[in-house]
Amino acid sequence: MSLGATGNPNPEANKNGLLAGSNLEKVLRAGHFAVTAELGPPQSADHLVIRNKARHLRDCCDGVNLTDNQTAIVRMSSIAAGAILVQEGLEPIIQMVCRDRNRLAMQSDLMGAYALGIRNVLCLTGDHQSFGNHPTAKNVFDVDSCQLVKMVSGMRDQRVFQCGEAIKGQEPRFFVGAAESPFAAPVEFRPYRLGKKVKAGANFIQTQLVYDVPAFETFMEKVRTLGIHEQTSILVGVGPLKSPAMAKYMKESVPGILVPDELIQRMTKAGASWAGKKADEMSKEEKKARSEAWKAEGIKICIELIHKVRAVPGVAGIHIMAIEWEEAVRPVVEGAGLLPRPNMHEPPRTDTD
Amino acid sequence: MNSDSTLIVAFCCEHCAYAAADLAGGLRMQYPSGIRIVMLPCTGKADPLLLLRTFEEGADGIMVAG
Amino acid sequence: MIVAEQKTIDEVKTLLADARKVLVIGCGTCVTVCFAGGSREAAILACSLRMASQLEGHARDITDVTVQRQCEWEYLDQAADQIKDAEVILSLGCGVGVQAIAERFPNAWVVPGLNTKFMGLPTEQGVWAERCAACGDCVLGLTGGVCPIARCSKSLLNGPCGGSEGGHCEIDPDTPCGWQLIYDRMEKLGKLELLMDVQPPKNWQKARDGGPRKIVREDLKLHHEE
Repeated sequence: MSLGATGNPNPEANKNGLLAGSNLEKVLRAGHFAVTAELGPPQSADHLVIRNKARHLRDCCDGVNLTDNQTAIVRMSSIAAGAILVQEGLEPIIQMVCRDRNRLAMQSDLMGAYALGIRNVLCLTGDHQSFGNHPTAKNVFDVDSCQLVKMVSGMRDQRVFQCGEAIKGQEPRFFVGAAESPFAAPVEFRPYRLGKKVKAGANFIQTQLVYDVPAFETFMEKVRTLGIHEQTSILVGVGPLKSPAMAKYMKESVPGILVPDELIQRMTKAGASWAGKKADEMSKEEKKARSEAWKAEGIKICIELIHKVRAVPGVAGIHIMAIEWEEAVRPVVEGAGLLPRPNMHEPPRTDTD
Repeated sequence: MNSDSTLIVAFCCEHCAYAAADLAGGLRMQYPSGIRIVMLPCTGKADPLLLLRTFEEGADGIMVAG
Repeated sequence: MIVAEQKTIDEVKTLLADARKVLVIGCGTCVTVCFAGGSREAAILACSLRMASQLEGHARDITDVTVQRQCEWEYLDQAADQIKDAEVILSLGCGVGVQAIAERFPNAWVVPGLNTKFMGLPTEQGVWAERCAACGDCVLGLTGGVCPIARCSKSLLNGPCGGSEGGHCEIDPDTPCGWQLIYDRMEKLGKLELLMDVQPPKNWQKARDGGPRKIVREDLKLHHEE
């Protein structure tokens, strides 16, 4: 990795060849198997929601993704939520989608995010607004995710705005991420599209949820053939299943998620003691017990998946998406033997790069 | 509704229904006086505008026969 | 062609308010071939509105006329007398036609009878689909003749996004994924390498985002001799 700009006013930027100096960057640079997790900001202005969720994630991951109006449902801004995490002493990875902002607003927000202490950004296309709670909204998509990656890295490495104008003062320096959905159509093109994002400047990649390890291995084989894993850090998306219904829903309704039948069967079996009972025939306690049994199995499966994907060459870490279930992250990370997380507060070695 | 004042326009295909009406007339068969038969070269000619205009001009009902 | 569809009769009635003398004006070009605003549709709508007004007990004088193209003043002039005579003009042209009438006849009160939808083509009898977004800077040469701006729901230049599944877009199983179409075509034509470059952000200034657009062709303008 090299810095595009000389005479950089940011001392951190020139130190040890770090691009942004984020904790996640340091963890990956040091060769640790990285762990990131996801935190969904609330559909309200309540900062305590973020702080409470943050408690579950503290010390069990190297960075926390703050989703950006995920599934096109309006929520507290990812940058504001990220700033709250900074206050809490956690490392935010803000997600930024192309749906809601044009290049002016994006660059403005990136500078603001940097000024608030945020050092990682994940560049995403964004779900179409027709899914969310404002389907009559106008979308933007001024730039796409590849172009956003390039814009963010250009602001850091060339110290220029997208228009080419120089950034005269402090440039925003982010560790730049992008997503890839290994099993979305057309599957054959996915490794190449990943390559495009890396070519655009993606320092790390977080994938869509992976449940089908053999299919992921096939994807990674191609990625390795193209040498992409050597130019970026690939974090595999994993997530604990909450119930057999959730597993089926993801298999059938979410593009790019493959859930093997075997996993659905395991989830069903976990709730076998309550099989055949309708919801209205079950007491509150029974329902709770069934849910706990499912969740325990979901966490167990997630841990097994982590072990499997960790063994795939070219994988640099995992990204845990426990949707509205942040409490699950710690048992997953702990169960996978990934605690404690590396402490990167010590000055890194000076002979890197 | 008084059947005598009810106006029904029957659009009949020249090749079948109109010929049948003609035959009925030849056989001195009776039908209400409110029925007006209009010959079409084919019932395919009975397009929406023709039917709408018929109603607009005061028809109570339309029969398309072909 | 420009593809449009008729507004509901209730909305049309609202637009006409209590006008006593209405001229429904059809257009003989794009909206004729998409069965939205040709002479046939103009006559049917005029007839329907006349009957509705009779049923509501206040008969109106509603006539119809169709010109070859509402988007050219020369054709509109042929209906000038009828236009000037009417209290409300109900245009069954596209949005261009409605505005052409307003521009040509400053005193005419013109209302739209159609919703102009898109530029597209009939894919089968009774089905029309969007094909061009008039972005002003055609990229079809990069994408094998399938437009990423008009046919990808997110107008991605470096698609497809993660929402492509089984050939369709995430927004709707009946909407083909534009980037799947691009990929398939490029693969078939042996041109996949064209998709490997990162396309830079688009210059939207050439699209509607740059403000209302105009083309001036000096070679075609009539210059008056001095």
